[in-house]
Amino acid sequence: MRTRKTPVLALAAAAGLLLLTPFAPAQKASDPAFKVKLDFNRWHDCDELAADMRRLQAAFPKFLKLESIGKSHNGRDLWLMTINNPATGPESGKAGMYIEANVHGNEIQGCEVCLYTIWYLMENYGRNADITRLVDERVFYIIPTVNPDGHQYFMEGPGGNARSGHVPVDDDNDGLFDEDPPEDINGNGIVEMIRKYVPGQGNYRISRDNPDLLEPVPFGEKGDYILLGQEGIDNDGDGLVNEDGPGSYDPNRNWPSDWQPNYVQGGAMDYPFQLPEAKAVADFLKAHPNIAGVQSYHNTGGMILRGPGAEAVGEYPQPDARAYDELGQNGERMLPFYRYIVIWSGLYTVHGGFIDYTNDGLGIVSFSNELWNGEQYFTSPALKEQQQDPSSPIAPAQSRYFFDKYLEFGEEYVKWTPFDHPQFGRVEMGGVWKKYQGRVPPRFMNEELCHRNMAFSLYQADEMPLVRLDDAEVERIGGDVYRVYVDITNPKVVPTVLAKAAQTGTVRPDLLLTEGRNVEVLAASFVDSKTVHKINPSVTPLVDQKDLKRILIRNGQPGKATRTAVLIVKGSGSVKVTYDSVKGGRASKTVALK
Amino acid sequence: MGAASKGTDVTSPLCPFRANPPKEVGVRRFLTGFHRPAALLPLLAVLALGLASGPAAAQGPAGYRDHAALTKAVQALANANKAVVRLESIGRSAGGRDIWALEIGGPGPVPPAQRPALLVAAGFDGDRLAGTEIALAVAGILAKAPASEATVYVLPRLNPDGAEGFFAPLKTGARTNREPYDDDNDGRVDEDGPDDLNGDGLITVMRVKAAGGEYMIDPEDPRLMKRADPKKGETGSYRLYTEGIDNDGDGFINEDPPGGIDLDRNFAHEYPYGQPGAGPHMVSAAEARALMAWIVAHRNVAAILTFGGSDNLIVPPTGAGRLGPARELDLVRFADTAVAAARAAGFIQTGGAMGRGGRMMMGGFPFEMPGGGGRQAPRAAQAAAGSEFSRFMMPDRKPATTVAPGDYDFFKAVSDKYVETTGIRQPLCVREPRGAFFEYGYYQFGVPSFSTPGFGLATAEPGPARRPAGGAPPDPGAAVPPVQAGRGAAPARQTGAAGGGGVGGFGQAGGGGPAPAAAAAAPGIDRQVLKWMEAEKIDGFVPWTKVKHPEFGEVEVGGFKPYAAANPPADKLAGLGQAHAEFAAYLISLFPRVRAASFEAEGLGGGLYRLRAEVENTGFWPTALAQAVTARSVKPTMVQLGVDPGAVVSGSPKTSFVQTLPGSGGRAKFEWLVKGKPGQAVELVVRSEKGGSATARVTLK
Repeated sequence: MRTRKTPVLALAAAAGLLLLTPFAPAQKASDPAFKVKLDFNRWHDCDELAADMRRLQAAFPKFLKLESIGKSHNGRDLWLMTINNPATGPESGKAGMYIEANVHGNEIQGCEVCLYTIWYLMENYGRNADITRLVDERVFYIIPTVNPDGHQYFMEGPGGNARSGHVPVDDDNDGLFDEDPPEDINGNGIVEMIRKYVPGQGNYRISRDNPDLLEPVPFGEKGDYILLGQEGIDNDGDGLVNEDGPGSYDPNRNWPSDWQPNYVQGGAMDYPFQLPEAKAVADFLKAHPNIAGVQSYHNTGGMILRGPGAEAVGEYPQPDARAYDELGQNGERMLPFYRYIVIWSGLYTVHGGFIDYTNDGLGIVSFSNELWNGEQYFTSPALKEQQQDPSSPIAPAQSRYFFDKYLEFGEEYVKWTPFDHPQFGRVEMGGVWKKYQGRVPPRFMNEELCHRNMAFSLYQADEMPLVRLDDAEVERIGGDVYRVYVDITNPKVVPTVLAKAAQTGTVRPDLLLTEGRNVEVLAASFVDSKTVHKINPSVTPLVDQKDLKRILIRNGQPGKATRTAVLIVKGSGSVKVTYDSVKGGRASKTVALK
Repeated sequence: MGAASKGTDVTSPLCPFRANPPKEVGVRRFLTGFHRPAALLPLLAVLALGLASGPAAAQGPAGYRDHAALTKAVQALANANKAVVRLESIGRSAGGRDIWALEIGGPGPVPPAQRPALLVAAGFDGDRLAGTEIALAVAGILAKAPASEATVYVLPRLNPDGAEGFFAPLKTGARTNREPYDDDNDGRVDEDGPDDLNGDGLITVMRVKAAGGEYMIDPEDPRLMKRADPKKGETGSYRLYTEGIDNDGDGFINEDPPGGIDLDRNFAHEYPYGQPGAGPHMVSAAEARALMAWIVAHRNVAAILTFGGSDNLIVPPTGAGRLGPARELDLVRFADTAVAAARAAGFIQTGGAMGRGGRMMMGGFPFEMPGGGGRQAPRAAQAAAGSEFSRFMMPDRKPATTVAPGDYDFFKAVSDKYVETTGIRQPLCVREPRGAFFEYGYYQFGVPSFSTPGFGLATAEPGPARRPAGGAPPDPGAAVPPVQAGRGAAPARQTGAAGGGGVGGFGQAGGGGPAPAAAAAAPGIDRQVLKWMEAEKIDGFVPWTKVKHPEFGEVEVGGFKPYAAANPPADKLAGLGQAHAEFAAYLISLFPRVRAASFEAEGLGGGLYRLRAEVENTGFWPTALAQAVTARSVKPTMVQLGVDPGAVVSGSPKTSFVQTLPGSGGRAKFEWLVKGKPGQAVELVVRSEKGGSATARVTLK
């Protein structure tokens, strides 16, 4: 609860009432006057993330449903927020946008983007027309952290080794599991480097450019320092330091599309969905086939990634690549310093990654944004130009130190300080960056990161397929035989069925259903444009299926396109035509035969 | 008594330890370990008695067991041998049946979970019940003479739901589990299974006279069908289907039967993405998941023997490391091919927009977007951007798909022993092994891993099965699965009707694809199977009889009976159980066994000591196969000195690892200089994941 204490004792009784409300009284002239105040300039641990989700849920109970989809290895809940307006229909009839973050425990700012997205959608519903429409048309599934064990380990500990989840792995093959993690001996919350001053006998020296930095001496010279490795102790007495910390696998390689064993893909574990967190997420996704968009936030580098993760999988079919390119290229315009790239060719090869599974295994358009790019420290053209000058204090090698000193007031860099080490004697420890520097933005820049990335995901959500039956016409051929034209439109970028999903059968095909008491469908075909077809009639291929009252459309409805179904029907009364897609919703049109 | 004397002859090939007796080492140390060949003697004696008394003495009732009877049998075995056999359920099938696991191990100093173990697993395919019975027989025999230094796990039936089909009133011969599955992806689940048209309680094959059909009656045996070869001037006049009708009125017959996932296609080595029966993804089936969870928790499993549809024991891998070609019944395969068209139907082609000839096709075909949406060509450069750099920086590794050259001899030797022990020289029917559990066992789990149908022919007929003498590599394509159009098939086939399966020719809009390679590369084993059935007096073939069909009119129903070619006659089971128990004992005798062959200390003065040790593998197999080293799936053997790390002055580190130690006496040497005190006892621990562990002690003087 974030109610402020007031010094006026007389208000204490009123405060009792205020506690029942999840927000402070609105200030009249504020713009906007938000119901729930959240902070996006600091990093939240698991409990705080969950508490903020509970506050949001309490403030917007009509739209928000908070539930746990399962437990992590250490027993933490995987909290899912569902955003749906029940007044516009149940979840299952709407295309769903699934957003998650933090599969790598140390990649924490995505959690804040998730929280920001829930908050922003709710605070702006009814205030902003676009947001209102989006919330009415779509459903959002948001899991701020899918690796709470890794997240909490990162937040509580020195920050190293937190990419993994916490299913124990015997990293050093000694039959013991996770028995020798890194330690913070001097208790400052950081695992530091250790150096020893050995005048004229070392192989390192103080950098000429920056007294905080050590640099190796040139060939043939001697320095004053040697490095003695990382802070830590040999917990298991095997002669090795910090060789078996918690977990040590990659939770983003445990997914069953192009999954490969450990020797091909490091960190894959022994079989897909071995990890309880991956299993819980997969079970949720399988139970929600309406999900048509996925975003999995990572850090770092400023990327809008799509699959395939490995070259051997093969580039996506052209219609799919076209939809991805449209979204990704607009994403680049919304996210300065982010590049839209394919994982294997632009980043590195990934086998068994999450978004490979959601695209290849589930037929969902999927992106993974690598949040934050170091280019964003100094963004103006003038400063970029100045960075070209190696003697500038913001030249690439120096810029982090400059930024830390003047914009973060020395918050992030740990300077060398003397320490009496139990094994090495008098040494100095330091020379490292704290865990919040580098992969996450400076705290004061996080809200912009949250907003821009949310905007991209909302754009993706808006471009999920949405089926409409716009126009229907009936034309009498003779007797009780009619030609019925029904225009099927998907005004969005994404097709109702991805071409790859159609090839592999991972999404239920779309269905064109015809109902009518006395109606028989004699023949059916589809034309790309009714107008062109009427001006210049051409022979169209007939639908080669037996049951024409339930036509399977495996390749779905393309994006940004209207096609016309042409049904030759025999009968009387009225005909109801329904286009039913799993990811683009369902639409019907009834016409009278006359 | 010849057999009995065989049992006490420790020079027999059953006991390779004899060739490398443990060397005597210094008196100041004592060893614990598993290098005592005598420990196997009681087992050999029991085996010998079993052989001497013949199949009649084999345990268990003749015949095949359903789940209830299987449950009783494993419970009875566990109850009768409480000190030796433990029973647990490793999980439940989709239908809620327990998947049983027996742990067999005699009393000994090391708990069974830490001893090197043989896993015997069976019953993956719902139509192969023989493996379950053989596995039970193996369990019963080995429980009578349990090893004190090895463990045997027997999982007799991984797919209990599938096996129940054998006992159902209507016998379909289905291999799959019973998880509901939309095989043809039409939005309806399990809606069009087979139907017993001739009322014999068996689902066989239906042949329909049709002009333009692809099949003809085999002129050499009118019971059989062959694909007409136009190049030979042959004209087909039949279509083939499995017995049934078009239940859901979609124009296809039996395209979505009850179930399921073909369990032995659901594992992670060479998983056949999108193939019929493979399921939605690897390790998706509850049964597969239960087995994977179990085996990764049982790293002491040092070898795997499965009874299943594939074989690498009767016919070992070739010198190139590949398995022999699949041998499946043509008649069944031809009929199965018919449903492929159902999975391809439903790709809508549009017309009209671009004027005459304007076509739009989706799904990997040339694609012209009508007005709008086609702002620019997809970025071909997108995928290529940086690709050269990516390839250079991170060359993509590929998983191994052939037996490592360093492991080949082990497979060959075991196969030779298998043929000698069982007398089986040729398998009857064999499936190609993509996604099979035993392949996972070798390529990913990293242990010697075998599969056999458990029965076969006593004589090898020259033919496609046995590779020619001289070991010429077979057709490289042979290990490739039969191509079947369908879910996940290559895009070029998706509108083509493979095999022309539709009742009225539906789904043939694409003009009919190329003939499926499966049918083209027919191994022609049907005649051989008929001969086997005649010789074994198996009533395994239903003669063709005329039946009225609702869609086709008059058709003929007949063909191989379900289960008949996948299982031996029940009276053969006892003998097969004996032979495979002997073979299982042989496999156990090959386990790697580590020991400290020597461990000595020498005082150098000034509190400094030189310690020397030699670690030896007295077993036959190395502590890790070549593939296990490649796959890093078997932990290196650890050699650890029980001193404070700071006491090690020089030499080997306190903890060392040996990637693999060859068998038959392979050794690794270690030397440490340590600081110590007179009278101090120093312990050496040797721990191998598959070869047990050993401890040695020396006292400093």
